[in-house]
Amino acid sequence: MTPAQRAARLLRWYPKAWRSRYGEEFAELLIAEISERPRSPIRTADVARGGIVARLAGAGLCGCALEPSAQARASLVSLGWCVAIFTGFGAAMWSQLTIGWQWSAPDNEATAVAMVVMSAAMLAFGVLAAAAAAPVLWSAGSRIARGRARGLLGPTALVVACALVMFAGGTHFGNGWPGTGGHPWAGQGLVPGGVAAFSWASTLWVSSYWAHPGALASFPAAELAWMASSPLAVAGLVGGTAALVRRAELSPRVLGFEARLGTAACAVMAVFLGGCCAWIVDGGPGPRNLFHAGAIDAAGVVVLAIAFLAARQAARMARAGTARAR
Amino acid sequence: MPSRESAREPEPALAGFGRYAGPATLILASLADGAKHGYALTKDIESFSGVRLAPGTLYEALARLQGQGLIEPVESHDRRRPYQLTAVGARALRAHLDAQRKVADLGLRRLASSWGTA
Repeated sequence: MTPAQRAARLLRWYPKAWRSRYGEEFAELLIAEISERPRSPIRTADVARGGIVARLAGAGLCGCALEPSAQARASLVSLGWCVAIFTGFGAAMWSQLTIGWQWSAPDNEATAVAMVVMSAAMLAFGVLAAAAAAPVLWSAGSRIARGRARGLLGPTALVVACALVMFAGGTHFGNGWPGTGGHPWAGQGLVPGGVAAFSWASTLWVSSYWAHPGALASFPAAELAWMASSPLAVAGLVGGTAALVRRAELSPRVLGFEARLGTAACAVMAVFLGGCCAWIVDGGPGPRNLFHAGAIDAAGVVVLAIAFLAARQAARMARAGTARAR
Repeated sequence: MPSRESAREPEPALAGFGRYAGPATLILASLADGAKHGYALTKDIESFSGVRLAPGTLYEALARLQGQGLIEPVESHDRRRPYQLTAVGARALRAHLDAQRKVADLGLRRLASSWGTA
């Protein structure tokens, strides 16, 4: 393999945007280095590490090489994905508990306090999501209304379609759950039964049944289809919103507002995570094992913690980007 | 000539570069006597400091320095793009080296008084 071919291979560690900016000159440097010292595992490791850092920087999670507004937008998009993953897994755990409370109140103080904390956090997530979506949708809508819809119609259509799919599917499968939406006791729990059922149905795909194909095979085909398609709808919803954030030409002021909401979302994530840990560490299984914390819940907490840490970093970078953009 | 336009921007400090402050100082010091491309930077830095910056580390630091407005690329038809110091970069380097010299002077004085000059 020639030095040029090896340089081209090493260059693949870096993201496309970085390669288009630095690719040629970096390849020249690599060719010179490889010609001088053909074998160097340290150089290979250094290039790989540099490529990963460049990818993280491209996602707005580290570094400061990007143009400030672009960095803020990239960080906000990463933050959005982190919050979506957090709320997806968080809502799956929370909805199990709220459904349990439809049947019986927990007999353990830690579980009861945890559920109140988690429910308050979920409400805060809803408020923050609405506040974050409003300026983005307003900006995109006003651009479309002014006839400057280039690049916005596709993401807008995707967001609307995925939101409709989630609403229709969540409502349909939530109503089919006998313990909540359609049950005569619904409403006696901490949160309205319909909300608990909708949340449970929307996060049905977060399930340990994926590890038990035999049990999964006994599920109704429609439910299986929903479990497979709902995460795609969530991904489409977040991806479409991310595209709108990138393309809607949000002003530095709006970006700053979104970054502050992101910081607030991180605080809410910390509160939710605290409640979750309290339930898993100190909560009991409760009446009829309704509040039992299993291995999937412990794994869920790990996912929540990783998403929280990444979101915190993205929020920090978004604030730095918006400060530089002003 | 290096651009003077960035002279009105806030002064970034190399101390804020964290673990990249070392490579950043070496790169700025190398560019202090004129523009250089990546390979020339590597060889120059190796010659005056004995440190050979690996390619990934070099370009990570170059990207950060450029992002902070301390260096800028020079127009070139060559695939090897040279970089030069900006006015802000020159001031940041001077401030950083002045601070380092104070530490070096102090350390040498204390060494001399406690351990002698040998």
